[in-house]
Amino acid sequence: MIEEFNMLISGVGGQGSVLMGELLGRAAVADGLNVKGSEIIGLAQRGGAVTSVLRIGSACQSPMVPLGTGDIMIGLEPAEALRNITYMAKSSIIVVNDRRVMSVTTLLGMGTYASIEEIIEKLKKYSSRVISMDAIALAKQAGSARSANIVMMGAGFGTGKIPVRIETIKATIEARFGARESISNIKAFELGYNLCR
Amino acid sequence: MVMTKELAPKKLTIGLDAPGERLVMLGNEAIARGAIEAGVQVAAAYPGTPSTEVVETLSRLAKEFDMHVEWSTNEKVAFEVSYGAALAGVRAMSCMKQVGLSVALDSVKGAAYNGIRGGLLLHSADETAARSPQGLRDTRLIAEREYIPVLEPATVQEAKDMTVEAFRLSEEFGHPFILRTVTTLSHGRSDVVLGKISGEKREGSFVKLPPAPWGRPAEVAVFKRFDKIKEAVNTFPWNQLKLVKGAKLGIIASGVAYVYVSEALRALKLDGKVSVLKIGTPYPLPETLVKKLLTSVDEVLVVEELNPFVELHVKAIAGEDNIPVKIHGKELIGPFEVSDRIVIGALSKVTGAASPIDFAELDRINKEMASLLPLRPYYACVGCPHRASQYALKRAAMKVAREYGKGVEPIYTPDIGCYSTGGNPPLGVSDRNATSSMGGSIGVACGLAQVMKAPVIAQIGDSTFFHAGMPPLVNAVFNKTKVTVVVLDNLTTGMTGFQAHPGTGTTAVGDETTAIKIEDVARAFGVKFIEIIDPFDSLKKAIDTFERAMRFDGPSVVVSRRICAQVYLSAMRRKGEAIIPYYVDQDKCTQCDVCITQFGCPAIIKEDEKVVIDSLQCTGCGVCAQVCPHNAIFQEQSK
Repeated sequence: MIEEFNMLISGVGGQGSVLMGELLGRAAVADGLNVKGSEIIGLAQRGGAVTSVLRIGSACQSPMVPLGTGDIMIGLEPAEALRNITYMAKSSIIVVNDRRVMSVTTLLGMGTYASIEEIIEKLKKYSSRVISMDAIALAKQAGSARSANIVMMGAGFGTGKIPVRIETIKATIEARFGARESISNIKAFELGYNLCR
Repeated sequence: MVMTKELAPKKLTIGLDAPGERLVMLGNEAIARGAIEAGVQVAAAYPGTPSTEVVETLSRLAKEFDMHVEWSTNEKVAFEVSYGAALAGVRAMSCMKQVGLSVALDSVKGAAYNGIRGGLLLHSADETAARSPQGLRDTRLIAEREYIPVLEPATVQEAKDMTVEAFRLSEEFGHPFILRTVTTLSHGRSDVVLGKISGEKREGSFVKLPPAPWGRPAEVAVFKRFDKIKEAVNTFPWNQLKLVKGAKLGIIASGVAYVYVSEALRALKLDGKVSVLKIGTPYPLPETLVKKLLTSVDEVLVVEELNPFVELHVKAIAGEDNIPVKIHGKELIGPFEVSDRIVIGALSKVTGAASPIDFAELDRINKEMASLLPLRPYYACVGCPHRASQYALKRAAMKVAREYGKGVEPIYTPDIGCYSTGGNPPLGVSDRNATSSMGGSIGVACGLAQVMKAPVIAQIGDSTFFHAGMPPLVNAVFNKTKVTVVVLDNLTTGMTGFQAHPGTGTTAVGDETTAIKIEDVARAFGVKFIEIIDPFDSLKKAIDTFERAMRFDGPSVVVSRRICAQVYLSAMRRKGEAIIPYYVDQDKCTQCDVCITQFGCPAIIKEDEKVVIDSLQCTGCGVCAQVCPHNAIFQEQSK
């Protein structure tokens, strides 16, 4: 029995972190596991920072990842991954999309946005392993740029860290989407998965 | 390992009639499930974060379970609808965010005063994360004022179970109950064990009573009912006292704080060394259990979100009985969401136990990262019609303000909705300090207009207009106030996730209904200047219309109507139609950056110092092509 597994999904609104949290939660329960988690949805607008939490195991009671204890983070957006770095344990794995989503404020000269190299270097400094990828390119290869979140989820599973069976998560994806979308999403999942294996 | 029904699509599962089955759901979905198990027949709400998903979930299941589910015009009406149904003996509920409870309050008092027959539950969600513009408000303070008991779940499972029980308790005591949740509970996710669905359907019956005396006798009846509830809560299963023999420290944890306390005790290796009182009814408190704890320890730490509500009541109980115990609370916990860090920090301070996590080091890391990370204030979405409306409004308002005199600036009173993002640069068309409440934009503008020699412009959304914008518009006509009301009509309730409202022509359950037109309402009120624009159609025309509205001597209304970008995009996807994005012709672009510095659509970005449009984000609205002073933006050719 798993005692405590902590996972964080970070991104900006509209990238699909909420959907990912929902899929993972369902798959874990279908595997007979106990699940806790939460959605930091914020407001409905796109473009704001969003996080989704998944916790599995008998010791997990609160809906949030306790600081410094995260096992794996899926960063749909690199700056948002770095913004949440203190939730991660030093031993954690971080899977990160290397496509930066610029903020209007940065273009207006308010605040900065570091280079992707600098962000990955900082992520590496406070975790044990960082896997970066162009999730949108992979998603396009699978059939739709909108599946970038599923590519990233596949990559997360590829690390072997997530205690949910591959068949279960795939069945969950198939149940959630219609027949046509399922095919491209499963392909997206596998592209991510194979990249990290 | 069995594949459960969990894998079936979401909309079918919450209503699954399978007692004992485990389903994963959000706190708000669990409340909806609880209401279905209890046999709720009427549910009404006005959407508001973090409460929206309860009635949203029920609306999808309304037909299957033969419930009346509605989006009401505002929270007061929503409560009244549920109260009316409960008077007729059926089970009914209303849901709202805590800000909405303030709107409903006048009627809530009535229900507590008169008592009810069918179970009546009011779900009020406190936005403890303080992410919305309206500030923190604590449901419990309001409940106490009106003598309404409050149930507060610690977990998603409890949210479901409490909802079921709340209807029974409400009927047992003939009194309304409040279910209070906080953000992390409403939007928390967990597996939940399902109970039996009641399936009971009651016929409504209204009992006419002989004229009852008002005033003191009625108040005495309320106190009598409440005294019974006060006694009963001591044995409610959600109030649990775990006394540890010889423990010097006791913790009182209310609602969701309990799970943080449990984890913190484990992290600090204090499990089994501290007495804990878990509170599921912050009002009224289980006094017998509180006294038992207070008399068994030297020190108590009260952990709760928002106001020191439980803390003050516990202090009163200790004071009344002269119990010699030191009581800690808000000085260690603070007013916001409780977290692992807050509880571990407070417990370390009180017990001297060492924290397993070096929080100072984490602060140092955050500081190291701060300069690398972009700010992400809330912006209107790519393709949002509000951005186009507000761009035009600003141009018009600046021009008309100059007619008032040199240096005069227009005043923009904002309301509660997506358009409040227009206060951020580069638009800056929302005076943050003039934000008051739903509908407040027009009322506050009426006051400003009486004393300011400047254009005063109220901006309000369509759903918000129906919620609370109508009385102040009547006021503007009645009192001959020269104020411009811009109704940003995106044909949905955008900020909370696209719910129906009186102007949309459909109900919560998707039935067709009369679509009430805002311009018809304004006309009926006697507004003499009413114009309707499409902000995507022509910015020039929009600017001209706004100018004329501001120069009009009397209240003027401009309805800027265009479907919400998100609703538009999902409709296009459903129909399988392609979005044709715009692009910047680099030969014509002079890098003047007007599209960025004055319009600020998030799809317009810079790559290698060049302005480009992110074709993945672009919704094809084409407004930037109108904004560009050098005619350098074009739509890609459809394939």
